[in-house]
Amino acid sequence: MKNIKKYLEKVRAIRKKKYHPLIHKIHKKHMLSKKTLFYIKEYGPHTNVSKTIIKESIKILLIASIISAFGGLALEHVKTIFVSIIPLIILLPVLNDMIGDYGTIISSRFSTMLYEGKVNKKWWAKEDIKVLFLQIFIIAIITAFISSLVALILSGFSNYKINLIIALKILLIALIDIILLVSILFLIAVTAGLYLYRKKEDPNNFLIPITTSLADFGNMVLLAVLVILFF
Amino acid sequence: MKIFDKNFKDIMLSQIVSITGGIIAGIFLAVYTDKLLLIPGMLILLPGFLEMRGNISGSFASRLSSGLFLGIIKPNTTKTKIIKGNFLASFFLALFISTVLGLIAFLFNYIVFGIPTFNMILLPLIAGLIANAIEIPLTFFVTIYLFKKGHDPNNIMGPFITSTGDITSIVSLLIAILII
Repeated sequence: MKNIKKYLEKVRAIRKKKYHPLIHKIHKKHMLSKKTLFYIKEYGPHTNVSKTIIKESIKILLIASIISAFGGLALEHVKTIFVSIIPLIILLPVLNDMIGDYGTIISSRFSTMLYEGKVNKKWWAKEDIKVLFLQIFIIAIITAFISSLVALILSGFSNYKINLIIALKILLIALIDIILLVSILFLIAVTAGLYLYRKKEDPNNFLIPITTSLADFGNMVLLAVLVILFF
Repeated sequence: MKIFDKNFKDIMLSQIVSITGGIIAGIFLAVYTDKLLLIPGMLILLPGFLEMRGNISGSFASRLSSGLFLGIIKPNTTKTKIIKGNFLASFFLALFISTVLGLIAFLFNYIVFGIPTFNMILLPLIAGLIANAIEIPLTFFVTIYLFKKGHDPNNIMGPFITSTGDITSIVSLLIAILII
C-alpha cells in the first residue's frame, strides 16, 4: 500500500502531455486501470486544475454557444407563428431540457464506461451500450408524450383554442423531434467520445457541450421546420 | 438484457423532475412572452443561455462523478485543490460565455435592425451572474449528496441541472431585465 501511494504521487508529477512508462508499470504491477491513472495524471498537483478545465472547455463552449445562437436564429425566423402557439412555447424549454438531458446522460455514462474500460472499438456489440440506448429511447418517447399532454392541458387554461387536430400536431412534433434527435445524439456521443479518449483528452469536458449544443441547435431547427410544415 | 433496472428508474424519475422544471420555465415564458420572447434577438440568446447551465454545471457534475467513482475525490473532504479548481473554472466559464452570448445577440440586432442595443450584452452577464451563483454550488452539493446516498450522479445530475437551471435562468433573465 505504501508502495502504491509512492507510485501514484510519481504519476501525478508527470507532465500532462507526456507519456510515461511508469503508468504502464503501475497498471501491470498493481492492477490499476490505465483510465484511473489517466485521471490522476490529468488533475494532479503538477496541473493547475482550473486552468486545465478552462483550457480544455473554453473552445468547445464557444462553439456550443455559436451553434445554439444559430439554432435560435432559425426559431427567430418563425417567431411570429411560434409565439402564437402557446403549447409550443411551454414545450420549448421542456424539449430543450429533455434532449439536452439525454445528451448529458449518454455522454457522462459513456465517459465513465470509457474510464472503466468497458468500451472498445466494437462498441455496438457491447451490451452496456445497447442497454443505454434502449433505456434512453424508451424513456424519451414516454416523456415526450407526457410533456406534450401537460403542455396541451395547461394551454387550455389560457385563451388558446385547442382542438383534436392541433393536439395531434403538437404531439407529433414532440415525438418526431425527440426520436430523431436522441438517435443522432447517441451516435455523436459514442463516436466523438471514442475519438477524444484516444486523443488522451477527458471526454467529460467535450462530450456534454457537444451533445447539448447540437441537441439545442437540432431542436430549434427541427422545431422551426416542423412548425412551418404543420402550421 | 436488463433494460428496466435501477438506472432506468433513476433516469425516469429524474426526467419527471426535468419535465416539471421545464414546464414551470415554459409557463414563465408563456406568461412573460411580451417581456422576454418579443425582445428582438432574445430567441438567439435564450437557447444558448439555457443550455450554458447544462454545459458548464453538467460537465462540473460529470467531472465530480468520475472523480468520486475513481476515489480521487472524497465525498467528505470537500476543501481540496481539485474541487476549488472546478468551482473557479465553472464560474469563469459561465461569465465568459454569458458575455459572448450577449455579444452575438447584440451583433444580430445591430446587423439586422441597425440599432446598437448594448443592454443585450449586459442582460446575459447580470443574469448569468445571478443564475450561476445559485446553480454551481447547488450542483456540487447535490452531486456529493447523491453519491453518498449510493446513486449514480451521472443519471440524475443532467436532468436536475437543466431543469433547475431553466427556472433559475429565466427568473434571472427577468430580474436582469428589471435591473436594466
